[in-house]
Amino acid sequence: MSAQSIVTIRELSKVYRQGEINVVALNNISLDIAEGEFLALMGPSGSGKSTLLHIIAGVDRPTKGTCQVQGVEVTKLNESQLADWRNKNVGFVFQTFNLIPVLTAFENVELPLLLTRLNSKQRRQQVNTALELVGLADRGHHLPKQLSGGQEQRTAIARAIVTDPKLVIADEPTGNLDSGSAQEILNILQMLSQKLGKTVIMVTHDPKAAAFGSRSIHLEKGELTG
Amino acid sequence: MTTAGFILRNALRNKRRATLSVLSVAASLFLLVTLQSVLHEMTVPPSDVGAALRVIVRSKISLANPLPARQRAIIERIPGVEAVSPFSWFGGKYKDDEQMRFAQFGVDPKVLPILSPESRLTPQEYEAWAANRTACIVGRLTADLRKIKVGDRIPFTSTIYPCTLELTVAGIYSGTVDDANVFFHHKYLDEACGDDGMVGTWWVKVRSIDQMQPVVAAINKAFENTSAEVRAETERAFQLSFISMMGDTRKFIGWICAAVGLALLFVTASTMSMTIRERMRELAILKAVGYRLRELLLFILAESLSLAAAGALVGVGGAWLLYTHTKMAGFALALVCAGVFVWVVQMVRHRQYLGAVVTLLANGLLGLISLAVVTHGSLFKLSQGYIHYLHITPKIIGIATAVASVLGIAACLAPGWAVARLSVVRGLKTLD
Repeated sequence: MSAQSIVTIRELSKVYRQGEINVVALNNISLDIAEGEFLALMGPSGSGKSTLLHIIAGVDRPTKGTCQVQGVEVTKLNESQLADWRNKNVGFVFQTFNLIPVLTAFENVELPLLLTRLNSKQRRQQVNTALELVGLADRGHHLPKQLSGGQEQRTAIARAIVTDPKLVIADEPTGNLDSGSAQEILNILQMLSQKLGKTVIMVTHDPKAAAFGSRSIHLEKGELTG
Repeated sequence: MTTAGFILRNALRNKRRATLSVLSVAASLFLLVTLQSVLHEMTVPPSDVGAALRVIVRSKISLANPLPARQRAIIERIPGVEAVSPFSWFGGKYKDDEQMRFAQFGVDPKVLPILSPESRLTPQEYEAWAANRTACIVGRLTADLRKIKVGDRIPFTSTIYPCTLELTVAGIYSGTVDDANVFFHHKYLDEACGDDGMVGTWWVKVRSIDQMQPVVAAINKAFENTSAEVRAETERAFQLSFISMMGDTRKFIGWICAAVGLALLFVTASTMSMTIRERMRELAILKAVGYRLRELLLFILAESLSLAAAGALVGVGGAWLLYTHTKMAGFALALVCAGVFVWVVQMVRHRQYLGAVVTLLANGLLGLISLAVVTHGSLFKLSQGYIHYLHITPKIIGIATAVASVLGIAACLAPGWAVARLSVVRGLKTLD
């Protein structure tokens, strides 16, 4: 592992068994991701981008190989340890926002903090900071249905960074947004990487979105190309 | 936000479903508690304070066999006996009643104050009754229900004796656990039915508790090997002897309770499964941000138990209120109707016309029930005299609470298993 790498992947493979057929999602991937990098993972549908993302984030396990994040071999953690590790080290941003509809924006952002030992005052401070960072300080009391798509995704980003994780995982974060909102989201992700030193790994189909990253890598049929 | 607030918010996410779930639990537990109370009244009938010193003497062959009147003098001479009265069940029908709704007993009025000191009657009423052979006293519950007052003449046609008695109401008594009976002069019965010198049973008062068993034994022995052997037993034992005739009824009620519990389990399990299935993606998100399986299972369990607890509060609480403070229950129900009406107005404002109509119809029914409960004011009147009291004992509340708890836990087993098997990746792919 290089001194500045936050993610180190060696000979990573993932095979899904579907009845009698083995589907190779990832085939012997080796990759280093530097701390503070904004990496765009590109490739056609079914190339294994999301699978790779999920393994790095600790929500899926490889069939073979290793994946170290901040020196921790995530493939060796049990479910409980992984959950704890994710809460502290990973923030998720999904294509479909995935906010809890009955909670306000503030409460959605606060959700990961309920697992910490912070008191309500400390939680409120952190949530407000996260909402300010994404420009939604005045929308905290709104329900998701009262927000636009772009605002919902910004709330999701605030939720992803409220625990101050080193790693932000974004799976097609602009897939459901218009170009204006998509631009806002990409600017925020870029700011997280450049100004706050977070490592952002983003899966995208869109070359314009990938251009916001500091580096792009291509996956095709489970293998790195180019 | 707290974890408890999060759980509550989820439980009330779909208010209509939550309300219907709570009401279904409430209705089932109301029924369960009612059945258990009925069973309790049947198997552990209430007893007057004075019952501890009273004995019932009946024919050893059968309760239906009468006893010769000459036995009275023999029983009165037994040491420890304070008073003896004939106690014959008339079995008469009142007016157009198809069934007998309240009992009538032929007794000796002179000794009733000794035998039943808990009976409250004014001295004037007692004297008027004692002085008039065709007079009777009526229990407060029956008098209120049937609007019977002092001076009324009421005919009773017996289903056992070949006669009809025209009784004049001399007084209204209260203070016993069964203020629903009618007591009249046994002499009048003797005259009306040709005085065959027989009585139904003897009602005996013993001087003290210590003398109870010797008196019972002495009475049984006094008529051993005679043509009219007797079976003397405490009044309590006599009451409980009827229970043995209800063996099948107890089992029957038990089976109904079990069926109610099972139906309730299916309803709550189905509701929880549906609720959790709709939230699989959200649960996957929670897993992704760091919630462990045990935390998610606790959320589900807490939500399930909350619904069960709310249902228990409404159902068991409602039953307790109805059976112990009937009128107040009626007013409480009227308040609920008012609240539901406000909800109907909200529905109309939101153009939910079908829901408003259905809710309004249901509310109308609820309003009628509330009116009936308030105007009748007591369980006795509400049941037209069939049910005197229903006691919701702590044991019954405990049983209902235990049932609700088991339901709350059992209902989340299947969804809990689904969540345990849920992978974040698969959960995120779940469609809304």
